[in-house]
Amino acid sequence: MKRYIGFRIIYLIITLFIISTVTFFLMKALPGTPFDEEKLAQLPPEQKQMIYASYGLDKPVFTQYVNYLKNVVKGDLGTSFFYTGQKVKDIISSRLFPSALIGLQAVLLGLAIGLILGIVAAYRHNTAWDYATMIIAVLGVSIPNFVLAALLQYFVGLKWGLLPVAFWESYPSSILPSIALCVGVIALIARFVRTEMLEVLEQDYITTAKAKGLGTIRIMFQHVIRNSLISVITILGPIVVNLLTGSLVIENIFGIPGIGSLFVDSIKMNDYSTIMGITLFYSAFYVFVMLIVDLLYGLVDPRIRLASGKG
Amino acid sequence: MKKKKMTVLASLLLVSAMFAGCSSGFSGSESKPADNASGKTSETAAAAKDLKVYVENEIKDLNQWKASDDVSFTILNNVEEGLYRLDLKNEPQPAMAEKVDVSDDKLTYTFTLRDNAKWSDGTPVTAQDFKYAWLNELDPKIGTNGYSFIMTDYIVGADEYAAGGSADKVGIEAKDDKTLVVKLKQPTPYFLRLTSLAPYFPMKEEFVKSKGDGFAVGADSMLFNGPYTVATVDAASGAVLEKNPGYWDAANVKIDKVDVKVIKEKSTALNAYKAGQLDRVLLSSSDVNASKSDPGFGTGINFRTTYLQFNTKADGISNVNIRKALKYGFDSKLLADQVLNNGSKAATGLIPDVMSGFDGKSFREMQGDLVGVDAAKAKEYWEQGVKELGKAPKITMLVADTSEVKDVATFMQSEYKKNLGIDVVIDTKTSKARNQLMDNSNYQMGITAWGADYDDAMTYLDLWANHTPYRGNYENANYDKLITDAKKETDEQKRIQMLLAAEKTLLDDDVVVVPIYFGGYSYLLNSRVQNLEYHPYGNPVDFKYADVK
Repeated sequence: MKRYIGFRIIYLIITLFIISTVTFFLMKALPGTPFDEEKLAQLPPEQKQMIYASYGLDKPVFTQYVNYLKNVVKGDLGTSFFYTGQKVKDIISSRLFPSALIGLQAVLLGLAIGLILGIVAAYRHNTAWDYATMIIAVLGVSIPNFVLAALLQYFVGLKWGLLPVAFWESYPSSILPSIALCVGVIALIARFVRTEMLEVLEQDYITTAKAKGLGTIRIMFQHVIRNSLISVITILGPIVVNLLTGSLVIENIFGIPGIGSLFVDSIKMNDYSTIMGITLFYSAFYVFVMLIVDLLYGLVDPRIRLASGKG
Repeated sequence: MKKKKMTVLASLLLVSAMFAGCSSGFSGSESKPADNASGKTSETAAAAKDLKVYVENEIKDLNQWKASDDVSFTILNNVEEGLYRLDLKNEPQPAMAEKVDVSDDKLTYTFTLRDNAKWSDGTPVTAQDFKYAWLNELDPKIGTNGYSFIMTDYIVGADEYAAGGSADKVGIEAKDDKTLVVKLKQPTPYFLRLTSLAPYFPMKEEFVKSKGDGFAVGADSMLFNGPYTVATVDAASGAVLEKNPGYWDAANVKIDKVDVKVIKEKSTALNAYKAGQLDRVLLSSSDVNASKSDPGFGTGINFRTTYLQFNTKADGISNVNIRKALKYGFDSKLLADQVLNNGSKAATGLIPDVMSGFDGKSFREMQGDLVGVDAAKAKEYWEQGVKELGKAPKITMLVADTSEVKDVATFMQSEYKKNLGIDVVIDTKTSKARNQLMDNSNYQMGITAWGADYDDAMTYLDLWANHTPYRGNYENANYDKLITDAKKETDEQKRIQMLLAAEKTLLDDDVVVVPIYFGGYSYLLNSRVQNLEYHPYGNPVDFKYADVK
């Protein structure tokens, strides 16, 4: 097990190295500079060059890359070009909390409701329960979350005045965005659980369990649901990464200072250090979540062995 | 199995610890200490007056030598102050300066600072603070906002200093703590207006040095001398400004607290306004008609002209008759009234509608209309141009990917189809990519805009004297002469005449640019708010004069 995790950490470092290299050169291929070109257009070329030089942008791209790597190894992600003087590390950590909180709530809520709906639908297969659940699931997939967000904002926030319309001021500010984000998760999880459970229900070992005289509840919880969760765990990894790292649209609609909008803006503005910082963060987070997902497989199904040799 | 469970548990704990670590992440909770602090005085100031506004982009930068965007200027203008400040009529009034003596040749300005001009740390604002800050703006290693031209164009020796020369030769002299002498290259009737702009704000050297790289990254690394101080600021969620009790004119500042939020979605802002969380909201064109009957409805105009920039060296476009055809080939009145419908007005020239001219007349009144649709003329010029070129040129219009500009481009495309029978291709790029293509002279014509920094036609017209690809590679010795002569001219009437001639050359004779519309906006304002001033140029917003009922 230790060896396995050690191996995975080396794997993570190599992955991050490759991702950062590719991102760096792609990013440098973006047109423009991190500066306000319309204003700089008024300056003589020599002065423009001096401004570039003061940020080390006059050096060849490869030299810039080597310098960047050196700093990253030292744990320094640099300072933002766009938010002048602000450390990329500080910007990311301050923007992460809102996105992560909303994302986490959306995942937990979506997972809970999705599981319940999926289980009910499978258990009451081909009944009104099943159809109702699947209609909800189809709606959840087909209604874009920004439409839902706008509706929630208008009715719950403005018309009924139950929750804040927008902004990030106290805990209630996080509720509407979480709801807007979780509907997609509910739909996805419910559909997966239902399909998977229907499959498991037809397995021989379920018939065996029934024949042994086990109660329905015990069969459901000990055999059916547990075995159906494998597929849910597989899709849960990407869902968690997606949601915890923020959604541009939801953040803009609710005026939330999240990391999703930061990432998009940094690319629009050629804020090199911020682009790199967020990319590294996203990738590290993704690989980390994948590791957890792999560990969870073993937990759900002991037959899945992560590494050969001693566990 | 147990071991695995432990590992998973440990990882989950790690994740939850990550969240717990940043649990103070609500912007409201950050400002709580400030609320508590002022809570003590809340009995005396029973009715603290507050104003709730928003900006449409992040507060990117509160360092006066780096900031170049309207949002940053909005905050800076209210927490810092230059020698002069614009009043409710957009006229410059003495601010940090108590008075100014201008020499007879109009080249030497001697400013006397107020005795009660103070920094928020209690120390007086001195002439050295101005000199230090201005030299920083000129130094390309520090002043990276691209605004140094607003000094180099006017102040003696500033150009040379920006290019690496000596600071001693720059015409900025701190005679004593209270006296600042500025030497200009040429008489500049609007120089006092310039001193109200953010690049001309003072700053205290000692304070900047003590903060090092961390200067102006947050409220506690800033020093204030304006009507307000920054209590809290977060680039993405907004800033809270509080009245600066040490401000020289604090008696006339009526609002105690200004809450500036960042909202990027127009519909979100409108909902927040309706929910009473904002005092003023800008309307998108689709909301204008529904809001017109609202008592808080109003429109305003910015000194910002959106125009078509021709590249005079590009294929086809190098022919002046083709450019003339494209100039007369679209009806911008239709565009402003029906497509934009947000308070914008059809452009009749490059210089915006209400910009000052001479003797109480606006520049536009003196010049008359230089652009306007004329389908017959357009067709004639087009045919003439095609004859000269030997074939009809293919025309591509380069535009940035913002929704407003895309609407404008689509409209113009249909107008050209209707009036000239040609198919103009629209090339949509990100702003950065568009700027690069234009910088590299790799375009035929592009839609771009310029907002005035000060109330004088020169803020527009000298842009085309620098011959860059961005300004269409335009070179005309006569035009350049008009601009340089106008900069030297002491007789105001003659100076304006030269600028009028320059605009005519640019728009009529050489057709290097075609103005499309003067930017405007529609808004709803809470009836309790008075004198919330949005300046049409320069530093956009003043909370200093505002009051609420």
